[in-house]
Amino acid sequence: MGELLEVTNLTAGYGDGPSILDGAHLSVEPGKVHCIIGPNGAGKSTLLKAICGMLKIRQGDVKFNGQSLKGLRPDQILRKGICFVPQERALFPKMTVRENLRMGGYSLDDRSGLERSIDEIEERFPILKERRDQHAGTMSGGQQQTLSMARTLIIKPAIVMLDEPSLGLAPKIVQEMFDIMKMMASEGITILLVEQNALMGLKNSDWGVVLDLGRTLFKGPAPEVLADPRIQELYLGGKKAA
Amino acid sequence: MEQIIQTLILGIALGGVFALMGSGLSLVFGVMRIVNLAHPSLIIAGAYVTYWGFRLWGIDPLVMLPVAAVVLAGIGVLLYKLVFEREARSAKYSEMTVLLTFATAMIVEGALGFMFTNTQRVTSPGYATDAIFIGNVFIPMGQLYAGIVSLVIIGALAAFLKYSRFGNAIRATTQNRDAAELLGVNVNLVGIMSFAIGIGLAGAAGALVSFVFSFFPAKHWEWVAVLMSLVVLGGMGSILGTVLASFLLSIIAAFVGVWFGSTWSTMTFFLALFLILLVRPQGLFGEKPELA
Repeated sequence: MGELLEVTNLTAGYGDGPSILDGAHLSVEPGKVHCIIGPNGAGKSTLLKAICGMLKIRQGDVKFNGQSLKGLRPDQILRKGICFVPQERALFPKMTVRENLRMGGYSLDDRSGLERSIDEIEERFPILKERRDQHAGTMSGGQQQTLSMARTLIIKPAIVMLDEPSLGLAPKIVQEMFDIMKMMASEGITILLVEQNALMGLKNSDWGVVLDLGRTLFKGPAPEVLADPRIQELYLGGKKAA
Repeated sequence: MEQIIQTLILGIALGGVFALMGSGLSLVFGVMRIVNLAHPSLIIAGAYVTYWGFRLWGIDPLVMLPVAAVVLAGIGVLLYKLVFEREARSAKYSEMTVLLTFATAMIVEGALGFMFTNTQRVTSPGYATDAIFIGNVFIPMGQLYAGIVSLVIIGALAAFLKYSRFGNAIRATTQNRDAAELLGVNVNLVGIMSFAIGIGLAGAAGALVSFVFSFFPAKHWEWVAVLMSLVVLGGMGSILGTVLASFLLSIIAAFVGVWFGSTWSTMTFFLALFLILLVRPQGLFGEKPELA
Protein backbone atom coordinates (compact mmCIF):
# COMPACT_ATOMS: atom_id res chain seq x y z
CA MET A 1 0.00 0.00 0.00
CA GLY A 2 1.34 3.47 -0.90
CA GLU A 3 1.81 5.27 2.39
CA LEU A 4 0.57 8.85 2.83
CA LEU A 5 3.84 9.82 4.49
CA GLU A 6 6.81 7.61 4.87
CA VAL A 7 10.05 8.59 6.54
CA THR A 8 12.91 6.16 6.05
CA ASN A 9 16.32 6.22 7.65
CA LEU A 10 16.21 10.00 7.97
CA THR A 11 19.34 11.92 8.99
CA ALA A 12 19.19 15.68 9.48
CA GLY A 13 20.62 18.48 11.61
CA TYR A 14 21.11 22.23 11.84
CA GLY A 15 23.58 24.09 9.64
CA ASP A 16 26.94 22.36 9.67
CA GLY A 17 26.25 20.91 13.11
CA PRO A 18 26.02 17.25 14.02
CA SER A 19 23.06 15.19 12.89
CA ILE A 20 20.22 15.37 15.40
CA LEU A 21 18.16 12.81 13.56
CA ASP A 22 20.10 9.70 12.84
CA GLY A 23 18.11 7.05 11.09
CA ALA A 24 14.55 7.94 12.01
CA HIS A 25 11.64 5.97 10.58
CA LEU A 26 7.99 6.88 10.52
CA SER A 27 4.88 5.84 8.70
CA VAL A 28 1.55 7.45 9.33
CA GLU A 29 -2.03 6.27 9.41
CA PRO A 30 -4.28 8.57 7.38
CA GLY A 31 -6.72 10.67 9.41
CA LYS A 32 -5.17 9.72 12.74
CA VAL A 33 -3.38 11.67 15.42
CA HIS A 34 0.22 10.58 15.96
CA CYS A 35 1.98 11.76 19.06
CA ILE A 36 5.76 11.80 18.85
CA ILE A 37 7.33 11.59 22.27
CA GLY A 38 10.85 11.34 23.55
CA PRO A 39 13.28 13.04 25.90
CA ASN A 40 14.77 16.49 25.25
CA GLY A 41 17.10 16.44 22.29
CA ALA A 42 15.62 13.23 20.89
CA GLY A 43 14.96 15.02 17.60
CA LYS A 44 11.19 15.42 17.76
CA SER A 45 11.06 18.98 16.46
CA THR A 46 13.91 18.26 14.09
CA LEU A 47 11.85 15.49 12.53
CA LEU A 48 8.96 17.86 11.80
CA LYS A 49 11.32 20.52 10.44
CA ALA A 50 12.99 18.03 8.14
CA ILE A 51 9.64 16.83 6.81
CA CYS A 52 8.42 20.37 6.05
CA GLY A 53 11.66 21.33 4.30
CA MET A 54 13.05 23.79 6.84
CA LEU A 55 16.02 21.49 7.35
CA LYS A 56 17.97 19.71 4.68
CA ILE A 57 17.66 15.96 4.52
CA ARG A 58 21.19 14.58 4.80
CA GLN A 59 20.42 10.93 4.32
CA GLY A 60 17.36 8.80 3.95
CA ASP A 61 14.12 10.02 2.45
CA VAL A 62 10.69 11.45 3.12
CA LYS A 63 7.98 10.30 0.75
CA PHE A 64 4.55 11.83 0.46
CA ASN A 65 2.06 9.77 -1.56
CA GLY A 66 5.05 7.89 -2.90
CA GLN A 67 6.89 11.04 -4.09
CA SER A 68 10.13 12.11 -2.47
CA LEU A 69 10.15 15.50 -0.77
CA LYS A 70 13.92 15.58 -0.70
CA GLY A 71 15.38 18.92 -1.83
CA LEU A 72 12.04 20.72 -1.98
CA ARG A 73 11.62 24.15 -0.38
CA PRO A 74 9.09 24.66 2.44
CA ASP A 75 6.72 26.54 0.12
CA GLN A 76 6.78 23.64 -2.36
CA ILE A 77 6.10 21.10 0.36
CA LEU A 78 3.26 23.24 1.68
CA ARG A 79 1.66 23.26 -1.76
CA LYS A 80 1.58 19.47 -1.61
CA GLY A 81 -0.60 19.73 1.48
CA ILE A 82 1.76 19.44 4.43
CA CYS A 83 1.37 22.20 7.00
CA PHE A 84 3.71 22.84 9.89
CA VAL A 85 2.83 24.89 12.97
CA PRO A 86 6.10 25.52 14.80
CA GLN A 87 6.49 26.02 18.52
CA GLU A 88 6.48 29.80 18.34
CA ARG A 89 3.05 29.59 16.64
CA ALA A 90 4.29 31.41 13.57
CA LEU A 91 1.87 34.30 13.63
CA PHE A 92 2.45 37.80 12.33
CA PRO A 93 1.95 39.82 15.51
CA LYS A 94 1.40 43.17 13.83
CA MET A 95 -1.00 41.94 11.20
CA THR A 96 -4.68 41.58 11.97
CA VAL A 97 -6.29 38.20 12.63
CA ARG A 98 -7.95 38.36 9.23
CA GLU A 99 -4.65 39.19 7.53
CA ASN A 100 -3.03 36.29 9.33
CA LEU A 101 -5.70 33.97 7.99
CA ARG A 102 -5.19 35.43 4.53
CA MET A 103 -1.46 34.71 4.78
CA GLY A 104 -2.45 31.13 5.58
CA GLY A 105 -3.79 30.94 2.04
CA TYR A 106 -0.88 32.78 0.45
CA SER A 107 -0.09 29.76 -1.69
CA LEU A 108 -3.61 29.68 -3.18
CA ASP A 109 -4.15 31.47 -6.45
CA ASP A 110 -7.94 31.55 -6.22
CA ARG A 111 -8.25 34.79 -4.24
CA SER A 112 -12.05 34.96 -4.05
CA GLY A 113 -12.14 31.32 -3.01
CA LEU A 114 -9.64 32.24 -0.35
CA GLU A 115 -11.91 34.94 1.09
CA ARG A 116 -14.75 32.39 1.21
CA SER A 117 -12.54 29.88 3.04
CA ILE A 118 -11.59 32.56 5.55
CA ASP A 119 -15.28 33.35 6.11
CA GLU A 120 -15.95 29.66 6.73
CA ILE A 121 -13.14 29.46 9.26
CA GLU A 122 -14.43 32.55 11.01
CA GLU A 123 -17.82 30.85 11.30
CA ARG A 124 -16.24 27.77 12.84
CA PHE A 125 -14.05 29.70 15.24
CA PRO A 126 -16.18 32.63 16.42
CA ILE A 127 -13.35 34.08 18.46
CA LEU A 128 -11.43 34.71 15.25
CA LYS A 129 -14.40 36.54 13.78
CA GLU A 130 -14.76 38.59 16.92
CA ARG A 131 -11.10 39.55 16.83
CA ARG A 132 -10.72 39.81 13.05
CA ASP A 133 -9.40 43.39 12.97
CA GLN A 134 -7.23 43.06 16.02
CA HIS A 135 -3.48 42.53 15.78
CA ALA A 136 -2.68 38.86 16.33
CA GLY A 137 0.03 39.76 18.83
CA THR A 138 -2.51 41.25 21.21
CA MET A 139 -4.48 38.02 21.66
CA SER A 140 -4.06 35.54 24.49
CA GLY A 141 -1.85 32.49 24.08
CA GLY A 142 -4.81 30.17 23.58
CA GLN A 143 -6.39 32.44 20.99
CA GLN A 144 -3.09 32.69 19.14
CA GLN A 145 -2.77 28.93 19.12
CA THR A 146 -6.35 28.61 17.88
CA LEU A 147 -5.50 31.05 15.09
CA SER A 148 -2.38 29.19 14.03
CA MET A 149 -4.21 25.85 13.97
CA ALA A 150 -7.30 27.22 12.24
CA ARG A 151 -5.08 28.91 9.69
CA THR A 152 -3.78 25.57 8.46
CA LEU A 153 -7.32 24.57 7.43
CA ILE A 154 -7.41 27.21 4.70
CA ILE A 155 -5.33 25.20 2.29
CA LYS A 156 -7.27 22.02 3.12
CA PRO A 157 -4.11 20.15 4.07
CA ALA A 158 -3.54 16.41 4.08
CA ILE A 159 -1.13 16.53 7.00
CA VAL A 160 -0.82 19.05 9.80
CA MET A 161 2.26 18.94 12.03
CA LEU A 162 2.00 20.62 15.42
CA ASP A 163 5.10 21.33 17.48
CA GLU A 164 4.12 21.56 21.14
CA PRO A 165 0.79 23.32 20.80
CA SER A 166 0.43 23.18 24.59
CA LEU A 167 3.53 25.28 25.26
CA GLY A 168 2.81 28.08 27.71
CA LEU A 169 -0.93 27.41 27.87
CA ALA A 170 -3.09 26.71 30.92
CA PRO A 171 -4.21 23.04 31.20
CA LYS A 172 -7.83 23.85 30.42
CA ILE A 173 -6.83 25.71 27.26
CA VAL A 174 -4.48 22.87 26.31
CA GLN A 175 -7.45 20.49 26.25
CA GLU A 176 -9.28 22.91 23.94
CA MET A 177 -6.33 22.82 21.56
CA PHE A 178 -6.31 19.04 21.59
CA ASP A 179 -10.05 19.08 20.88
CA ILE A 180 -9.49 21.28 17.83
CA MET A 181 -6.76 18.88 16.76
CA LYS A 182 -9.02 15.85 17.12
CA MET A 183 -11.75 17.62 15.20
CA MET A 184 -9.27 18.23 12.37
CA ALA A 185 -8.39 14.53 12.40
CA SER A 186 -12.07 13.59 12.31
CA GLU A 187 -12.26 15.50 9.02
CA GLY A 188 -9.58 13.27 7.57
CA ILE A 189 -6.52 15.38 8.26
CA THR A 190 -3.54 13.39 9.45
CA ILE A 191 -1.92 14.92 12.51
CA LEU A 192 1.69 14.69 13.64
CA LEU A 193 1.96 16.03 17.15
CA VAL A 194 5.15 16.67 19.07
CA GLU A 195 4.45 16.96 22.74
CA GLN A 196 6.72 17.44 25.72
CA ASN A 197 3.90 16.43 28.04
CA ALA A 198 3.85 12.86 26.79
CA LEU A 199 1.00 11.74 29.02
CA MET A 200 -1.41 14.40 27.80
CA GLY A 201 -0.25 14.03 24.24
CA LEU A 202 -0.75 10.27 24.14
CA LYS A 203 -4.14 10.47 25.83
CA ASN A 204 -5.34 12.64 22.99
CA SER A 205 -3.76 10.61 20.19
CA ASP A 206 -4.42 7.43 18.25
CA TRP A 207 -0.79 6.45 17.82
CA GLY A 208 2.35 6.94 19.82
CA VAL A 209 5.80 7.19 18.26
CA VAL A 210 8.79 7.03 20.57
CA LEU A 211 11.95 8.78 19.49
CA ASP A 212 15.30 8.76 21.23
CA LEU A 213 18.80 9.79 20.15
CA GLY A 214 17.48 10.65 16.71
CA ARG A 215 16.09 7.16 16.09
CA THR A 216 12.59 5.77 16.20
CA LEU A 217 12.37 3.27 19.04
CA PHE A 218 8.88 2.08 18.29
CA LYS A 219 5.42 3.01 17.19
CA GLY A 220 2.20 1.64 18.55
CA PRO A 221 -1.41 2.46 19.37
CA ALA A 222 -1.36 5.27 21.92
CA PRO A 223 -2.96 3.26 24.78
CA GLU A 224 -0.33 0.55 24.34
CA VAL A 225 2.49 3.06 24.35
CA LEU A 226 1.02 4.65 27.45
CA ALA A 227 0.91 1.30 29.17
CA ASP A 228 4.37 0.19 28.10
CA PRO A 229 6.54 -0.11 31.22
CA ARG A 230 9.62 1.29 29.41
CA ILE A 231 7.71 4.42 28.52
CA GLN A 232 6.26 4.63 32.00
CA GLU A 233 9.74 4.63 33.39
CA LEU A 234 11.50 6.84 30.92
CA TYR A 235 9.13 9.56 29.94
CA LEU A 236 6.02 9.53 31.98
CA GLY A 237 7.48 10.06 35.40
CA GLY A 238 6.45 6.62 36.62
CA LYS A 239 8.84 4.42 38.51
CA LYS A 240 12.35 5.86 38.13
CA ALA A 241 14.75 3.80 36.09
CA ALA A 242 17.26 2.03 38.32
CA MET B 1 3.83 84.06 15.99
CA GLU B 2 4.57 84.46 12.31
CA GLN B 3 8.05 83.19 12.90
CA ILE B 4 6.73 80.11 14.66
CA ILE B 5 4.38 79.29 11.78
CA GLN B 6 7.15 79.96 9.31
CA THR B 7 9.51 77.64 11.14
CA LEU B 8 6.83 74.99 11.43
CA ILE B 9 6.20 75.11 7.68
CA LEU B 10 9.89 74.78 6.87
CA GLY B 11 10.17 71.91 9.34
CA ILE B 12 7.19 70.07 7.85
CA ALA B 13 8.43 70.58 4.28
CA LEU B 14 11.83 69.19 5.16
CA GLY B 15 10.20 66.37 7.13
CA GLY B 16 8.37 65.22 4.02
CA VAL B 17 11.62 64.78 2.11
CA PHE B 18 13.37 63.09 5.02
CA ALA B 19 10.39 60.75 5.35
CA LEU B 20 10.96 59.43 1.85
CA MET B 21 14.73 59.27 2.38
CA GLY B 22 14.20 57.22 5.53
CA SER B 23 11.37 54.94 4.46
CA GLY B 24 13.48 53.00 1.95
CA LEU B 25 16.10 52.46 4.62
CA SER B 26 13.44 51.31 7.03
CA LEU B 27 11.93 48.86 4.54
CA VAL B 28 15.29 47.28 3.76
CA PHE B 29 16.07 46.94 7.45
CA GLY B 30 12.64 45.55 8.26
CA VAL B 31 12.70 42.78 5.70
CA MET B 32 16.39 42.05 5.31
CA ARG B 33 17.85 43.08 8.67
CA ILE B 34 20.40 45.04 6.66
CA VAL B 35 21.47 48.33 8.24
CA ASN B 36 22.14 49.92 4.91
CA LEU B 37 24.78 52.56 5.54
CA ALA B 38 24.99 52.97 1.76
CA HIS B 39 21.42 54.23 1.54
CA PRO B 40 22.30 57.96 1.65
CA SER B 41 25.02 57.48 -0.96
CA LEU B 42 22.44 55.84 -3.22
CA ILE B 43 20.14 58.82 -2.66
CA ILE B 44 22.99 60.97 -3.97
CA ALA B 45 23.31 58.66 -6.96
CA GLY B 46 19.59 59.19 -7.61
CA ALA B 47 20.16 62.93 -7.36
CA TYR B 48 22.88 62.67 -10.04
CA VAL B 49 20.62 60.70 -12.38
CA THR B 50 18.03 63.46 -12.01
CA TYR B 51 20.60 66.20 -12.33
CA TRP B 52 21.94 64.92 -15.63
CA GLY B 53 18.46 64.40 -17.04
CA PHE B 54 17.72 68.02 -16.24
CA ARG B 55 21.08 69.40 -17.29
CA LEU B 56 21.43 67.49 -20.56
CA TRP B 57 17.86 67.32 -21.78
CA GLY B 58 16.03 69.79 -19.57
CA ILE B 59 13.76 67.10 -18.14
CA ASP B 60 11.95 68.22 -15.01
CA PRO B 61 13.25 66.55 -11.84
CA LEU B 62 9.74 65.34 -10.99
CA VAL B 63 9.57 63.65 -14.39
CA MET B 64 13.02 62.21 -13.82
CA LEU B 65 11.89 60.80 -10.47
CA PRO B 66 10.52 57.49 -11.80
CA VAL B 67 13.61 57.15 -14.00
CA ALA B 68 15.91 57.64 -11.00
CA ALA B 69 13.77 55.17 -9.01
CA VAL B 70 14.00 52.49 -11.69
CA VAL B 71 17.74 52.99 -12.31
CA LEU B 72 18.46 52.77 -8.59
CA ALA B 73 16.13 49.79 -8.13
CA GLY B 74 18.18 48.05 -10.81
CA ILE B 75 21.39 48.93 -9.01
CA GLY B 76 19.72 47.61 -5.85
CA VAL B 77 19.06 44.21 -7.42
CA LEU B 78 22.62 44.09 -8.70
CA LEU B 79 24.03 44.97 -5.27
CA TYR B 80 21.84 42.38 -3.62
CA LYS B 81 22.91 39.65 -6.01
CA LEU B 82 26.60 40.54 -5.88
CA VAL B 83 27.04 41.47 -2.26
CA PHE B 84 24.27 40.41 0.08
CA GLU B 85 22.75 37.19 -1.22
CA ARG B 86 25.77 35.06 -0.47
CA GLU B 87 25.99 36.51 3.04
CA ALA B 88 22.34 35.80 3.81
CA ARG B 89 23.08 32.45 5.39
CA SER B 90 26.13 33.55 7.29
CA ALA B 91 25.91 33.46 11.07
CA LYS B 92 27.54 36.88 11.27
CA TYR B 93 25.06 38.31 8.78
CA SER B 94 24.15 41.51 10.64
CA GLU B 95 27.74 42.42 11.44
CA MET B 96 28.78 41.65 7.89
CA THR B 97 26.09 43.82 6.36
CA VAL B 98 27.24 46.84 8.38
CA LEU B 99 30.76 46.43 6.98
CA LEU B 100 29.55 45.63 3.49
CA THR B 101 27.17 48.58 3.29
CA PHE B 102 29.84 50.89 4.69
CA ALA B 103 32.20 49.72 1.96
CA THR B 104 29.43 50.09 -0.61
CA ALA B 105 28.89 53.69 0.51
CA MET B 106 32.59 54.46 -0.03
CA ILE B 107 32.58 52.79 -3.43
CA VAL B 108 29.46 54.69 -4.54
CA GLU B 109 30.96 57.95 -3.31
CA GLY B 110 34.23 57.22 -5.08
CA ALA B 111 32.52 56.27 -8.31
CA LEU B 112 30.34 59.38 -8.29
CA GLY B 113 33.34 61.59 -7.53
CA PHE B 114 35.32 59.95 -10.33
CA MET B 115 32.54 60.39 -12.88
CA PHE B 116 31.09 63.74 -11.88
CA THR B 117 33.83 65.44 -9.77
CA ASN B 118 33.25 66.85 -6.34
CA THR B 119 31.59 70.07 -7.51
CA GLN B 120 28.42 71.04 -5.67
CA ARG B 121 25.38 70.52 -7.89
CA VAL B 122 21.73 71.38 -7.71
CA THR B 123 18.96 71.03 -10.26
CA SER B 124 17.17 74.32 -10.64
CA PRO B 125 13.71 73.97 -12.14
CA GLY B 126 11.73 77.23 -11.90
CA TYR B 127 9.74 76.19 -8.88
CA ALA B 128 12.85 75.32 -6.86
CA THR B 129 13.42 78.97 -6.02
CA ASP B 130 9.75 80.07 -6.05
CA ALA B 131 7.67 80.68 -2.99
CA ILE B 132 4.05 81.40 -2.11
CA PHE B 133 3.49 84.20 0.35
CA ILE B 134 0.58 84.09 2.76
CA GLY B 135 0.87 87.34 4.62
CA ASN B 136 4.47 87.43 5.73
CA VAL B 137 4.79 83.69 5.85
CA PHE B 138 6.37 82.08 2.82
CA ILE B 139 6.15 78.51 1.61
CA PRO B 140 9.08 77.52 -0.59
CA MET B 141 7.59 75.84 -3.68
CA GLY B 142 10.47 73.43 -4.18
CA GLN B 143 10.13 72.01 -0.69
CA LEU B 144 6.35 72.03 -0.92
CA TYR B 145 6.41 69.99 -4.14
CA ALA B 146 9.04 67.68 -2.73
CA GLY B 147 7.04 67.17 0.46
CA ILE B 148 3.80 66.44 -1.39
CA VAL B 149 5.40 64.05 -3.90
CA SER B 150 7.18 62.31 -1.07
CA LEU B 151 3.95 61.79 0.88
CA VAL B 152 2.16 60.53 -2.23
CA ILE B 153 4.90 57.95 -2.80
CA ILE B 154 4.87 56.87 0.85
CA GLY B 155 1.07 56.64 0.72
CA ALA B 156 1.30 54.41 -2.34
CA LEU B 157 3.92 52.27 -0.63
CA ALA B 158 1.76 51.95 2.49
CA ALA B 159 -1.28 50.96 0.41
CA PHE B 160 0.81 48.42 -1.51
CA LEU B 161 2.09 46.88 1.72
CA LYS B 162 -1.33 46.83 3.35
CA TYR B 163 -3.57 45.66 0.53
CA SER B 164 -1.64 43.77 -2.13
CA ARG B 165 -0.83 40.09 -1.89
CA PHE B 166 2.89 40.66 -2.36
CA GLY B 167 2.83 43.63 0.00
CA ASN B 168 1.32 41.39 2.65
CA ALA B 169 4.05 38.85 2.00
CA ILE B 170 6.65 41.59 2.57
CA ARG B 171 5.06 42.60 5.87
CA ALA B 172 4.72 38.99 6.94
CA THR B 173 8.38 38.33 6.14
CA THR B 174 9.36 41.40 8.17
CA GLN B 175 7.45 40.14 11.19
CA ASN B 176 8.26 36.47 11.04
CA ARG B 177 10.50 35.21 8.27
CA ASP B 178 10.25 31.50 9.09
CA ALA B 179 6.48 31.62 9.39
CA ALA B 180 6.17 33.40 6.07
CA GLU B 181 8.29 30.75 4.42
CA LEU B 182 6.20 27.99 5.99
CA LEU B 183 3.07 29.54 4.51
CA GLY B 184 4.51 29.44 1.02
CA VAL B 185 6.17 32.84 0.68
CA ASN B 186 9.32 32.75 -1.41
CA VAL B 187 11.31 34.77 1.10
CA ASN B 188 14.31 35.09 -1.16
CA LEU B 189 12.18 36.78 -3.82
CA VAL B 190 10.64 38.99 -1.13
CA GLY B 191 14.18 39.91 -0.08
CA ILE B 192 15.26 40.91 -3.58
CA MET B 193 12.06 42.81 -4.28
CA SER B 194 12.13 44.72 -1.00
CA PHE B 195 15.74 45.59 -1.58
CA ALA B 196 14.85 46.81 -5.07
CA ILE B 197 11.91 48.84 -3.74
CA GLY B 198 13.98 50.24 -0.88
CA ILE B 199 16.81 51.35 -3.14
CA GLY B 200 14.27 52.54 -5.72
CA LEU B 201 12.87 54.77 -2.98
CA ALA B 202 16.40 56.08 -2.44
CA GLY B 203 16.46 56.98 -6.15
CA ALA B 204 13.09 58.72 -5.89
CA ALA B 205 14.25 60.59 -2.80
CA GLY B 206 17.39 61.56 -4.71
CA ALA B 207 15.28 63.20 -7.41
CA LEU B 208 13.63 65.38 -4.75
CA VAL B 209 16.89 66.01 -2.94
CA SER B 210 18.43 67.23 -6.20
CA PHE B 211 16.44 70.47 -6.10
CA VAL B 212 15.94 70.83 -2.35
CA PHE B 213 19.60 70.60 -1.36
CA SER B 214 22.84 71.17 -3.17
CA PHE B 215 24.78 67.94 -3.26
CA PHE B 216 28.16 66.41 -4.00
CA PRO B 217 29.38 62.82 -3.70
CA ALA B 218 30.53 63.04 -0.05
CA LYS B 219 27.33 64.73 1.10
CA HIS B 220 25.88 61.38 2.15
CA TRP B 221 27.99 61.29 5.32
CA GLU B 222 25.91 64.14 6.67
CA TRP B 223 22.79 62.09 6.17
CA VAL B 224 23.82 58.74 7.58
CA ALA B 225 23.26 59.82 11.17
CA VAL B 226 20.21 61.88 10.26
CA LEU B 227 18.50 58.94 8.56
CA MET B 228 19.61 56.53 11.28
CA SER B 229 18.01 58.77 13.89
CA LEU B 230 14.75 58.77 11.92
CA VAL B 231 14.70 55.01 11.50
CA VAL B 232 15.70 54.36 15.11
CA LEU B 233 13.16 56.80 16.53
CA GLY B 234 10.47 55.31 14.29
CA GLY B 235 11.31 51.84 15.51
CA MET B 236 13.65 49.90 13.23
CA GLY B 237 11.66 48.63 10.28
CA SER B 238 8.45 50.56 10.91
CA ILE B 239 7.74 52.80 7.93
CA LEU B 240 4.91 54.68 9.66
CA GLY B 241 7.26 55.28 12.58
CA THR B 242 9.96 56.57 10.26
CA VAL B 243 7.55 59.03 8.65
CA LEU B 244 6.33 60.36 11.99
CA ALA B 245 9.90 60.58 13.27
CA SER B 246 10.90 62.53 10.16
CA PHE B 247 8.28 65.18 10.79
CA LEU B 248 8.93 65.29 14.51
CA LEU B 249 12.69 65.66 14.25
CA SER B 250 12.61 68.00 11.25
CA ILE B 251 10.24 70.36 13.06
CA ILE B 252 12.37 70.27 16.19
CA ALA B 253 15.50 70.82 14.08
CA ALA B 254 13.87 73.80 12.37
CA PHE B 255 13.10 75.43 15.71
CA VAL B 256 16.53 74.65 17.08
CA GLY B 257 17.95 76.28 13.94
CA VAL B 258 15.96 79.45 14.51
CA TRP B 259 16.63 79.72 18.22
CA PHE B 260 20.21 78.53 18.50
CA GLY B 261 21.60 78.97 15.00
CA SER B 262 21.62 76.61 12.05
CA THR B 263 24.84 74.89 13.13
CA TRP B 264 22.86 73.34 15.97
CA SER B 265 20.00 72.25 13.81
CA THR B 266 21.84 69.19 12.45
CA MET B 267 22.91 68.41 15.99
CA THR B 268 19.26 67.80 16.82
CA PHE B 269 19.33 64.54 14.89
CA PHE B 270 22.58 63.34 16.45
CA LEU B 271 21.38 64.22 19.92
CA ALA B 272 18.03 62.58 19.26
CA LEU B 273 19.74 59.39 18.09
CA PHE B 274 21.78 59.37 21.27
CA LEU B 275 18.81 60.00 23.53
CA ILE B 276 16.51 57.52 21.82
CA LEU B 277 19.08 54.75 22.17
CA LEU B 278 19.42 55.55 25.87
CA VAL B 279 15.78 56.07 26.74
CA ARG B 280 13.66 54.10 24.30
CA PRO B 281 15.84 51.93 22.07
CA GLN B 282 12.83 50.28 20.43
CA GLY B 283 11.67 53.68 19.11
CA LEU B 284 8.08 54.72 18.62
CA PHE B 285 6.73 51.58 16.96
CA GLY B 286 9.51 49.06 17.25
CA GLU B 287 9.77 45.80 19.12
CA LYS B 288 11.70 45.69 22.35
CA PRO B 289 15.25 44.84 21.29
CA GLU B 290 16.20 41.22 21.74
CA LEU B 291 19.27 40.55 23.78
CA ALA B 292 20.34 37.57 21.72
